[in-house]
Amino acid sequence: MIDTMHGDTVQIDTYLASLRTDLGPMTLSERDEIVREISAHIRDSAEEGGVSVQTILARLGSAEDLAAQYRDGLLIRQASRSISPLKLMRGSLRLATKGVFGVVVFLVGLFGYVMGSGMVLSGMIKPIFPAHTGMWFQGGRMIASGTQFYIPEPPAHEVLGMWYIPLMLTAGSLTLLATTFVIRTSLRVSQRWQAKLSPGA
Amino acid sequence: MMKLRAQPVEGESPDRWEAQLRKGALEMAALASLWNGRLYGLEIIRFLESHSRLVLAEGTIYPILNRLKAEGMLTSDWVEAEAGHPRKYYALTEPGRTRLRQMAEAWANFAGGLSQLLEPVLNHQAKDQSNIRAAETMELSR
Repeated sequence: MIDTMHGDTVQIDTYLASLRTDLGPMTLSERDEIVREISAHIRDSAEEGGVSVQTILARLGSAEDLAAQYRDGLLIRQASRSISPLKLMRGSLRLATKGVFGVVVFLVGLFGYVMGSGMVLSGMIKPIFPAHTGMWFQGGRMIASGTQFYIPEPPAHEVLGMWYIPLMLTAGSLTLLATTFVIRTSLRVSQRWQAKLSPGA
Repeated sequence: MMKLRAQPVEGESPDRWEAQLRKGALEMAALASLWNGRLYGLEIIRFLESHSRLVLAEGTIYPILNRLKAEGMLTSDWVEAEAGHPRKYYALTEPGRTRLRQMAEAWANFAGGLSQLLEPVLNHQAKDQSNIRAAETMELSR
């Protein structure tokens, strides 16, 4: 009997220690709070009776999975409040591991940031390489835009001149803003879809 | 405990689809369990088991409660229980109540519309089952 109780205590302690370790990136007080709550859950479940400690821990899911759900929630929540492209892309990358929606958000984010920063960069390069940077048209169709190593040959002609600078800076900034908005909104929406369910559901 | 896995079938299997549907409803269910007053984690789990068919992996509810609290939808307090150890009780905040009302209205509209759409399907299914029962009864009476 004493051996069983000792075995139970060891199992619970191991589970909680593993949970605490896996909650790594969270603050100490957040980790304490979570471990305290899960510990209370285990005690309450044990007091209900009828099930072993092993079953109680199995119903909770593995400590790694449980910690991952907390960590994902935190990462995505922090990212959804941030305007840092790095944090937003980290959040969307984490989301991408969870399903198609996340993959789409990540790809849209990647495309938007690359496109937006490319436009801004191109606008900034124009004063340095004025002849090589611009928007070229031929026969009523745009054939090239941005900074070109080889300047398109006539009859292609550059149409924007120095207007290229404000236009690209504005369009690039708007693209970056729109991308930030789309990722933040998607991360917020996604937070409502993070739960896992048992297969018996 | 087993985990849900994507099944290698064409299209989305009904089980997988049902699980996705339940996932979406879980946040609303967690908020709804607190409508009549504060509860602690295990009480919320037992409430959901007895009042809905949302069978949870028990650990799932805690990260959701944690997130809802971070979003200001819930408050929590540690209360010393008669059992001898403290329990973390959750309660709805005013924004939490407002969000739950909005979710409940949206859900009722959505479910109402779909029920009408699915009525012929379900009626047809019931008719099929009664035909099978009648055929079995005839077979037995021979």
